Formats: sequence, C-alpha cells, structure tokens
Amino acid sequence: MKRAPIVIAGTLAGLIGVLEFHTTPASLTIGGLPGSSAASAPASIGGAAGGSRASAGAGAAANASPAPGSASQPSGASHTAVGPGVNYYFGVISVKVKVSGNKIVNVGIASLNDSGNPRSQFIDQQAIPILEQEVIQAQSANIQGVSGASYTSAGFARSLQSALHSLGFA
Amino acid sequence: MTADPIQHREHVMGTVVTFDIYPEPDAKDIQLTEVRRQLVRAQAILHRADEVFSTWQPDSAVSRMRRGEITVGEAPDEVAEVLAACATARELSDGWFDPWAMPGGFDPTGYVKGWAAQRALAALSADCIAGAIVNAAGDIASSGRQPTGQAFRIGIADPAAPRQLAEIVELTGAIATSGSYERAGHLLDPWSGRPATRAASASVTGPDLGLADALATAVAVAGEAGLTLVESLEGYEALVIGFDGTRKWTRHFPFAGPIVATGG
Repeated sequence: MKRAPIVIAGTLAGLIGVLEFHTTPASLTIGGLPGSSAASAPASIGGAAGGSRASAGAGAAANASPAPGSASQPSGASHTAVGPGVNYYFGVISVKVKVSGNKIVNVGIASLNDSGNPRSQFIDQQAIPILEQEVIQAQSANIQGVSGASYTSAGFARSLQSALHSLGFA
Repeated sequence: MTADPIQHREHVMGTVVTFDIYPEPDAKDIQLTEVRRQLVRAQAILHRADEVFSTWQPDSAVSRMRRGEITVGEAPDEVAEVLAACATARELSDGWFDPWAMPGGFDPTGYVKGWAAQRALAALSADCIAGAIVNAAGDIASSGRQPTGQAFRIGIADPAAPRQLAEIVELTGAIATSGSYERAGHLLDPWSGRPATRAASASVTGPDLGLADALATAVAVAGEAGLTLVESLEGYEALVIGFDGTRKWTRHFPFAGPIVATGG
C-alpha cells in the first residue's frame, strides 16, 4: 500500500462504539471506515482464510479513533447508527452510517459474515470499498454511478437504509 | 440536486444489477405505474439471460453447449445472436477479446453481462423517463440524461485505490471498465493464455454496453495498443490507467472536467 487514501477526513469518531453484531458472530470485521481501513482491510481479509481475525481491523480502527463527537465535526451534532444484519448474496452484512446535518459523512461495515468462502471474501474485499465510496461520492461529486465496481449489494443498501431511517432520514 | 430516481437492485448473473430510473419532474402517477411495469420486464430480461448463458449453472444452454450436449442450433435463439456478436467483437478487437480462448471452452460471460444490461435498458422506454441507468456491477448502460438536462456523470473507480474515483465522465450511452483488480483471473491474454498485466484498468464508452464491455476487456489486456484500435471505431472511446497511475485516452474520451480531489 503506497498510502492510505483519505476520502473523508476525520470521521473515525464514534463509530467503534456502535459496532454491534446482530446476527451470527461476524466472521470478518473490517475496520470499516472509508478513511482508515484501506491498509488494514486487505490484511484482515487475507487473514480470514485462516479463521480468526475479528480483532485486527477493529483494533486498528479503535487505536485511530478519537473520542466520539470530537473535533472532527466541530459545528453541529453528528449521529451514527448501525443497520440490522441483512442477508445478501454471500452472507449477512450490517452497515453503519454517520450523519452530520443532512449529509452522510461516513459509511462502513459494522459486521460481515461471508461464510469464509474465498470467492465471497474476494468479492467483498473488492466490493465493499466501492459501496462505501458510492454513497459518499454520490453526494460529494454529484455522480449517478461508478464504473469499475465489481459488485454492489442489495443487502448493503437495505442495511444502510434502515440505519438512516433510525436517524430520521429516508 | 436531481430528484430521487426510482431504484431497484436485482440479484442476477452472480452479481447485483442496479436500476436508476429518473422520471421527468412532471410525470403522472399512471405513467410511473407503466415505468414500474417496464422495470419488471427489464428484470425478467436479465434473469432470462442468466438462465441461457450462465456458465455457473450446469443446466444453462451455454453450459450444455460447453459440454457438447447441444449445438447452437438446438440452443435458444439468443445464443446464435450472442455468438455472432462475440465473433464481431473478437474481430473489432483484433482478437484481444476472445471468448473462445477461455479455459473450459467458449465463455461469453464477458459479453453477455453488458448485452443483457443493454437489453434490459431498452425495456425502459416510457415517455416520462428523462434518463435511466442500468449498472451491472460497474458496467453501465444508460439512456437519456438527468431530469435537469445535464448528462449523467459516472465515476471511474481508481484501480490503485478502489475507494476513490480516478476520473468522472459525462456519459452518453454505455461505459464498461475492466481491470486486473476486478476479479482474480478475470482477464486472460488470449495469445498467451496467462493473466493480463498491461493495464491496471481500461474503460470504454460507446453506444452499446455489450461491445463496450468486450472492448474494455480487450484494451485492459492489450494496454495502450488497444487505444489505437478503439480510436478507429466510431462512437467508442477508451481510457487506460497504468499501474503507475498514468492515463492514456482516445481523442474524444468524455471526461467531465477535473480529476476528483483525493486525499484529506
């Protein structure tokens, strides 16, 4: 990894605290933060074939995470919610979202169980960053789609929708 | 900001296909009901394509053809149509796209996804639709424009950092992106039989997603040499992103302005 891309700055706050696992224990926990997990996610997914690694991504993210509600969003409250675990093509996914004002500032994976299937894991590894990116950049860059994404998940969308709903959006 | 489109996500062809339909602002309820009917037809087109062409489903016509159990003549009519289109795409791509050079025999998967999405888009024909997008896992067929009159803007994922966009295009018609990052072993060099490594990703725009998809595969395999090839095809444009991030493109590639800022 040449560099850790920071798409959305300063949105680590408060997300780890709301990690929950609604369904079967997550077989994979990505740092889940668009800004932070670029370096850690592939590593933790790579380790997935061996079996145990839930701590890797979350641990890394927790270290980088300041206290909830800290300086990154100085003006105005931001709120975070976790969507329910939703069945998707390869397993169960739960999405978390952070909203400030009327804008989504962060989207990530709260939990993901893709059954340890290498193909699923490979696709998830490719797809989830794209899904996160789609949500954020669709807002910030006024785009209607992303070309080059290899997979988009209805489960991701449904969990996200529920999370937004619980925050009074959508 | 554009009003919310009618959206639908359909699990099909081993992936998820996203529909975004943008009605005219003055569309009546009865017209929107017709749009929803067309959306159902569009989904059926995708499932039909899956049924016939899937190489994952052992009962599909194409799987049976690959095993030599049936001939093209015995397969559903679409098979001959797609075979002919694949032959054309192979010719237009100077052999860089070659579904006959795949391990396990003829594999039209690289063409069929785009072809099916393009057919599904055609089902969305109601007058009240300003524009529509069918996004088959990153390969996009579109018609019309945003209700504001602006062209659709589509981001191209950065192959070096798939969380970011490398470029944004103003889309008329279709765009397909192929890259070695996309799926392990997805891109094989038909000449060597080995995984392709000449470009990190290649995007092709043009009127038809089936051909754009085939050409994107070809250009990703061929690298910059593929650009010359696409330059000669009317209506099609290409962008190649190298492993070092360099970009090369055909003369009229529809960039939508500056590169998206990345980094904090």
